[in-house]
Amino acid sequence: MTIQRTYEEINTKIRSGKAVIVTAEEIIPIIEEKGIEKATEEIDVVTTGTFGPMCSSGAIINFGHSDPPIRMQKVWLNDVEAYAGLAAVDVYLGATQLSERQGMEYGGAHVIEDLISGKKIKLKAISRGTDCYPRREIESYITKKSINQAILFNPRNGYQNYNVAVNTSERKIYTYMGILLPDLGNASYSTSGQLSPLLNDPEFTTIGIGTRIFLGGAQGYIVWEGTQFYPQVIKDENGNTIYKGGTLAVIGDLKEMSIDYIRAATFSGYGVTLVVGIGIPIPILNSEIMKNVAVKDEDIWTEIIDYSFPHLKKPSLGRVNYRQLREGKITIQRKDIPTSPLSSYAKAREIAQKLKEEILKGEFLLQEPIQKFPKGNKFKSLLEIR
Amino acid sequence: MLSKKVIFTFSPQNVERPVTYQLIKKYDLWINILQAKFKPSLGGKLVLELKGEKNQIEEGLNFARQIGVGVEFLEQEVLWNEEKCIDCGACVSICPTGVLSLDKETFKLKFDYEKCIVCGNCVEACPLQAIKVTF
Ligand code: SF4
Ligand code: SF4
Repeated sequence: MTIQRTYEEINTKIRSGKAVIVTAEEIIPIIEEKGIEKATEEIDVVTTGTFGPMCSSGAIINFGHSDPPIRMQKVWLNDVEAYAGLAAVDVYLGATQLSERQGMEYGGAHVIEDLISGKKIKLKAISRGTDCYPRREIESYITKKSINQAILFNPRNGYQNYNVAVNTSERKIYTYMGILLPDLGNASYSTSGQLSPLLNDPEFTTIGIGTRIFLGGAQGYIVWEGTQFYPQVIKDENGNTIYKGGTLAVIGDLKEMSIDYIRAATFSGYGVTLVVGIGIPIPILNSEIMKNVAVKDEDIWTEIIDYSFPHLKKPSLGRVNYRQLREGKITIQRKDIPTSPLSSYAKAREIAQKLKEEILKGEFLLQEPIQKFPKGNKFKSLLEIR
Repeated sequence: MLSKKVIFTFSPQNVERPVTYQLIKKYDLWINILQAKFKPSLGGKLVLELKGEKNQIEEGLNFARQIGVGVEFLEQEVLWNEEKCIDCGACVSICPTGVLSLDKETFKLKFDYEKCIVCGNCVEACPLQAIKVTF
């Protein structure tokens, strides 16, 4: 008999404390032991997790009005400029924006982290002044308690699968994939592999607009496909299937988040970014979905890319799987190269566990997507038109 | 028993002298080579961890000085702030001596201080500024 479940049935089981939930890591030996059908019968939800640098992140903040009021035209938070081209006291603070005084040591992501931890943030705003908003300048302090909203809204997070970065040049290079040593001195990669949300539902059967997720320690939502959403399914010459290009736009209440699951980071010589923790529950509606979550590190392949090449299309040096990467070294051109994950597997595991516990306690219910992601998106480059 | 980390600098004149062999043989020191960089025509650099009795370490180092080897102590220390660390592993692949690694079970960072030569690579590589060099 093939099992079919609905979201409602799963939520009813969650509410009555009867749902069976495991993480995307724990499911692997279960499937190996019992097979797909039996595992589908027994398990209702599989939780995933990732905790890695995600540059396309930021926060929408509403400060509330001062007296006399000001229509803020330029705004700085701890000397980091936030975009103020919205209504009078709304801004969007981008994670990668750098401090005007401290440069790369501090940026938008650090302001976000400081806000979450309850620290006082210095606000400075200037304006031309209008009849209805006469004030031209304000300097004050804000905290997450003093402001109306602080909403994390990240246009592109949770990259499905990412390259392995290496450097074949003679010079050490500083990239968003960390420091890359010359002459293939090291390699870095950045996904949680078998725990990664979009690799456990690679064709977006259960993940879509409206999916409730774990975001930075709070409950958040997927609001759209991420920018540059361009899912591809590639069959390579050895019969391996490579999924890549899926991304998510996510939203959540920053005030409820915890710096255990969202952190600021600085990549030396590159800049500031936000390390975001995301966990997505996958409802086991049928055995097809169970087949997807059975994915193991050794089945997930990615491309080794030479980041010393200064153009958009960088040369590939072959493929590796996450099992090899996670072992700590890979072999390229007969050379053993140590690897760095960048995305924390320990934290990804912690997030998948935490999400599992929240569902078990009945605090987190599954939300069926209200709309699926589009199919057949194209990846466009910026053409320089003269 | 005492343990010291030292940097030996060799010139082209003394680069071929079997200094570590002598230290082991004559001064009964326990030696761990942390880093070695040699170019016979230019000399070289050796970072060692020495263990032994205090007087033997002193005598052994005097012997090295006598044959013209530059001797410096590695007094700096690398401090890892475990609280700040997120176990991202950005530091593990740039460490020249294998001090840093991710545990195969827990995937948490392991810091094997003994082998550290305080090169500072990890300080620069850590995106969370969780590693510092102190004097
Ligand atoms: S300073 Fe850091 S990179 Fe250098 S040897 Fe010590 S642990 Fe390794
Ligand atoms: S780079 Fe920093 S945060 Fe990452 S594992 Fe190393 S010490 Fe921890």
